Formats: sequence, C-alpha cells, structure tokens
Amino acid sequence: MATSLTHTAPLRESLRVNGRVIGALLVREMLTRYGRHNIGFLWLFVEPMLFTLGVTALWTATKSVHGSDLPIVAFALTGYSSVLLWRNMPGRCIGALWANLSLMYHRNIKVLDIYAARLLLEFGGATISFAVLAIVFIAFGILAPPEDFLAVVSGWLLLAWFGCALAVLLGALSHRSELVDKLWHPSSYLLFPLSGAAFLVDALPRVAQDVVLWIPTVHGVELVREGWFGSQARAHYDLAYLISFNLALSVAALIAVRWLARRVVPE
Amino acid sequence: MIRVRDLHKSYPTRFGNKVVLDGVDFELAKGERLGILGRNGAGKSTLIRLVSGAEKPTSGTIERSMSVSWPLAFGGAFQPQLTGIDNIRFITSIYDQDFERNLAFVEEFAELGPYLREPVRSYSSGMRARLAFAISMIIEFDCFLIDEIGAVGDARFHDRCNRELFEKRGDRAMIIISHDAGYVREHCNRWAILHDARLTLFDDFELAYETYKELIGAEVASDPVAVDFTNRALMIASSQHAALSDERFRALVQQGDWARDERDWSRAAEQYSKALALYPYQRSYWTQLGHMEKEQGRFAKAEIAYRTAVALGEPLADVEEHARFVFERQEGDGAQFVMRVPGQRHAAEQPPAMPDVELLALMVGASSALEEPHLLAAIREHATLDELGADLALRNARTSASMEGPELDRILCLFGDKLNEGRRADIRRLIAAGANFAEQLRDHAALGKWPRTRAAIDARQSQHLNRINPTTRKVRA
Repeated sequence: MATSLTHTAPLRESLRVNGRVIGALLVREMLTRYGRHNIGFLWLFVEPMLFTLGVTALWTATKSVHGSDLPIVAFALTGYSSVLLWRNMPGRCIGALWANLSLMYHRNIKVLDIYAARLLLEFGGATISFAVLAIVFIAFGILAPPEDFLAVVSGWLLLAWFGCALAVLLGALSHRSELVDKLWHPSSYLLFPLSGAAFLVDALPRVAQDVVLWIPTVHGVELVREGWFGSQARAHYDLAYLISFNLALSVAALIAVRWLARRVVPE
Repeated sequence: MIRVRDLHKSYPTRFGNKVVLDGVDFELAKGERLGILGRNGAGKSTLIRLVSGAEKPTSGTIERSMSVSWPLAFGGAFQPQLTGIDNIRFITSIYDQDFERNLAFVEEFAELGPYLREPVRSYSSGMRARLAFAISMIIEFDCFLIDEIGAVGDARFHDRCNRELFEKRGDRAMIIISHDAGYVREHCNRWAILHDARLTLFDDFELAYETYKELIGAEVASDPVAVDFTNRALMIASSQHAALSDERFRALVQQGDWARDERDWSRAAEQYSKALALYPYQRSYWTQLGHMEKEQGRFAKAEIAYRTAVALGEPLADVEEHARFVFERQEGDGAQFVMRVPGQRHAAEQPPAMPDVELLALMVGASSALEEPHLLAAIREHATLDELGADLALRNARTSASMEGPELDRILCLFGDKLNEGRRADIRRLIAAGANFAEQLRDHAALGKWPRTRAAIDARQSQHLNRINPTTRKVRA
C-alpha cells in the first residue's frame, strides 16, 4: 500500500506527531465549542456540574428511594457523574467526522485523532466536574471523603474506557449511516435508569440483579460506590466481565475506524 | 520523487461502482510541474487527494520520497468560528513549525490587518482566499499540489501568488489543476489529460490541448447546443453563462485567445466561429470575432459580428468605434451610420442579430439570405426582427426546408411567449409531417406580436394559392 516518510518513521517519532496533532485538535475543539466569550472553556466542566447539581437537588427534594441508608447527595453525585462520563462521549463522537472532514486533507490527521481529541475533552470535563463537586461537598461536610480512593479511580477509568470504545464505534458507524444518530438518543435515555446510576444492585430482588449485571456500566458504578462508601454499601461487580466487555468493544471500535479511514473522502 | 503505480480508485454509489481512476501511472521529479487537463468530474481532484495521502486508493501504490503538501485550494479549510490567528496556530502545530515566524509571514502576505484577530466567518471571500494562500505558503514542501488556485483574487494578489509559487519555489515539484488552461500552459512543463479514468502524459502543451479538445468533442460537435427556453430574452441571458461553463466552448475560445495573442487573426477567427456555432447567442465573443475579421480586412464580416454583439446586448460604447471604422471602410464618408441597441421590448421589436437572421431565413426557407451581401443588408437595414421576418417572408420561396432538433427549438424560442408546451409539440409534429413552418406558427397564434411578418406570410400564401388556383381565394374568404 501507500508508503510515505511518516510511515517509515520510528514509533517514537510517530507518537510525537500524534501527540502534537491531538494537542492541536484539542485546542481547536475547545475554541470552537466554547469560544472566548464569558467564562469560555470553563463551561467544559461547569456544564456537567450544573447537570449533576440539578439532579442531586431533584433527587434530594423528591427523597428518591434507592433502597439503602446512603445519603442521597452522595448517591446522586456518584451515580449521575458516572452517567455523564460515559453517556456524553458517544454524543460527541457521532457525526464528529462530518464536521471535521476538511481536516482530513492533512495527511497527519487521522480519523482516530479527531475522536481522541473530543474524548479527552469530554473525559476532562466530566472528571473535573466530579472532582470539584466532591471536594466542595466534602468541604461543607455534606459528603464523607472516599474510603478507598484507588477503587474510585479504577471504577471511573473503567467507565471512561467503556464510554470511549462505545463512542469511537458509534462515531465510525455514524459516518456510514444516519441511523446510528437517530437510535443513539432514545437508547441513551433508556440506558440511563438501567446503568446503575439510579439504584444499588444490592437493593434489587435477586432476579433483577441477575439481569442488570449483564449491563457493563453497572459494574463500573458499583466499583465507584464501593470505593466511596466501602462497608456502607455491599457492591456487586465482576471486574473480569467489565474488562473483557471493554476489550471486545475496543477491538470492534478499532476495526470500524480502520474500515472507515480507508474509505473517508475529504471534503 | 513521487512514483504512482497502477493506481485504481472507485466509489460505491447507488447505481453501482463508479470507477474514477483505472490504472494511472506517472512519476514526478523535483522541478517538474505537471498540469492536468480534464473535464468536470473527470477525477482530477481525486487524483490529487490520493497523491497527497489524504485519501486511500482502491489499489495501486504511491511512493513519496519528498514531502508533499496537502491539496492547496482557495476555499481553505477554515473553522468559521475561529480567528485567522487560531487557524494559523492550528496549522503551525500540526506541521510542527515556529508560530511567531508564521504569523509574521501571514500578516505581511495576506494584508488582513486587524481582521486576523476576528473570526473567519466575518471575512469576505477575497480575504479568505488571501488567508488560505498565505497559510499554504508557510510550510515548505518539496511538492505542491494545487487545485484551482489561480481562480480568485485581484490582479495584484494574483501576481504575488504567482511570484511566491513559481519564482520563489520554482525548483519544487508541482501538480496543478485549473479550469484556466492558460494558467496550466504558462506554469507547467509537463502536461497530462485525465479522461475516462486514464491519464495520458505529454511533453508538449499544444499536442496535449489538441488531444484534449478532440476527446471532449469540441471539434466534432459544431451544431448549436440544444436549448429549451420560452423566449429569446431568456435564451440570450442563459447563453452567456451556459457557454462559459461548457468545456468545449471554453476550449475553443481559449485557443482563439492564444491565436489572437500571437496575432494569428485567421486562426483566432476560426476558433471563435466554432465556439459561436455552439452558442450563437453568446454576445461577448461576437465582439472578439469582429475584431479578428477587422484585423484581416474582412470589414463586412466584421460589421455583421459587431452589430450582432450589440443586438445581443454588448454595451454600445465598447463596440461603436470599431463598428463605425469597418462601416466607413466599406461605404465611404457619405453614408449614414446607425447602430441599434436592444431594449425592454418583445423579441419582435429587437434589432436583429446574426443567429436571428439564420433562424428566420430557415423558417421561411430563404437560404439565399445567408449569402454575404444579403446577410449584411438584412442586419444593417432592418430595425426590428419583425421587419426582417416580413422582408424575408416576402422575398423568398414559400416552402420551408424540413428541420429538426436545435434549430427548431431556437425558432420556437424566438416566438416563444405565446407557445405553451402542447402547442410546441403540435408544431413539431406538423413540421415533421411536412407542413409549412411559418404558416404553422401563424395558425398557432404565435405571431401576435409580429404583425408585419404575419401580413407577409398571408400575402405570400394568397399569391401562392392564386397561382395554383385563382378561385381558392374566394373560398377562403
């Protein structure tokens, strides 16, 4: 197939080019999305923070039943933040290539770079929002600090991995079929109540537990909650299941991107 | 060096696989500038995208042992919300360059002043073109791929672009696509034609261009292009644009222009005539044709061309001086020189142009009107098309030649407004069956605005009937 200087360059050089490209795309993405007006790119995490705050307030006001004695604020913060993390990623990647087709004229910019830049931004926004809210709540004494910080981080990263793989797969497929965009919206709404954000697996009847544990995000959220609340919540998760699911999804996503990259026509 | 071997590219479409490139081979070394000719949609831009590496071939190889630019075009791939500076910064970091140096260059070259700090959205198309070109020049490549870059901007900007590209970077390799064959001829040293998914290379431009013209059919098709308009004014208006977007017309006038620049008047006149045979109502090249005939001392032909140009709407001020010159050369000082300009009137009341004379003569079967002294007289002496039509109808044989296709459509156009689709179809059918065209038009009420022509046709008809059988006249009455 086509060879060029960049293809024969050593791996380190390629990684350097890749990092540069993703960095440039990231800046460009931030500027086009948030501009330089009012608070600018602070919206990156202010927007998800507002979402989480709103939902937390709503759940507190309606005293949502979640089947445990966990404080409702803590429950909402961990639950809704993780939904935002994996659910916004596909939303940002679907149709991303159409919007950036003119960039494909530059040989160094690959399809995956465009997705990577958007995913990094989304991950950053959701993570900062989660962290800032948690610190504020802890400072005000509304929330106890996490019991096992590393478990929270690993749960969070596994959810992000799931979100990224799903986003890249759907993003690549959406370039070939508009159906993906149309179907993603309803399915993302339906997935929200099932994703583990709005319930504790332990509080469900045995039959329901077996069913929801097929959903990969449930395992991630449970892990985050176990890390945060430790003994207070009896978590149900299977790391092997979540990791193998993520791996399979990633392979599918990379195949889809490779297939797409060979066929993409720059604008 | 760039080596392209057996390149194939096809796109899946709803109606099957479309093969755009089918076995393309070439090599390009430093200092070689390859100009690619080909009609719209021939795959020129696709080839450039493949060479740039932005798109992958279906099969075949492209080896690049020098750095190759992205396909430079004046549209520019800008994010409209971003400022000019943001766009410079983006390209700078993608290609790992020094931002300050690039910014200084673009500021100096694009002359956008404070606009560089405004969103690209607020730029005019000329400003975008300047920014796009300046950004294209900030990265030094060994090979530049240029897609229609010579098409925009004022003369001064054009000049500066050419200096940057062809003087400062004259030692680089280039692949150039342009609608402007003159641009390709001037700036390239190798040429190629992309036709039917295959690339043919040439070392001589004239040979390449002749072959190109043959391939697109500019030489064979000398029949006017079919039109389907409701009236003459629309036909004139659309011909201006339609002609210039037809590769065949463009190729012919392009060669006419080159012959003119070499002062080869007869060859230029020949090329312009061929072009005008395709689009007889294209006004500006009638003026050019007039100049060529004038230079050869063929004043009658020149006067016909000048009068035609004015009748079709060329500004009188541009033509009058030349028309008066050729008129006086024929008639001496005593004769009265009159030029008639068209106005917001019905076709019947417009001054006649050469293609009108041809059509009306065809309609009444008066081919002798197309011989030179008659032709000039017809255009010079008749103030309106109606007058001309009446004169031709009275003076000439009654039977009209059978006709079809573009001529028939054009004649129907002249009488246009009154004829709806149904009537046009009727007339076409009756003419095909051998009926008299002029009488058919009259009987289909198309001559409402043409009183003199109608009277002349009536008169001819009754004369004719009298000659066959004097009593029929009474019957008709």
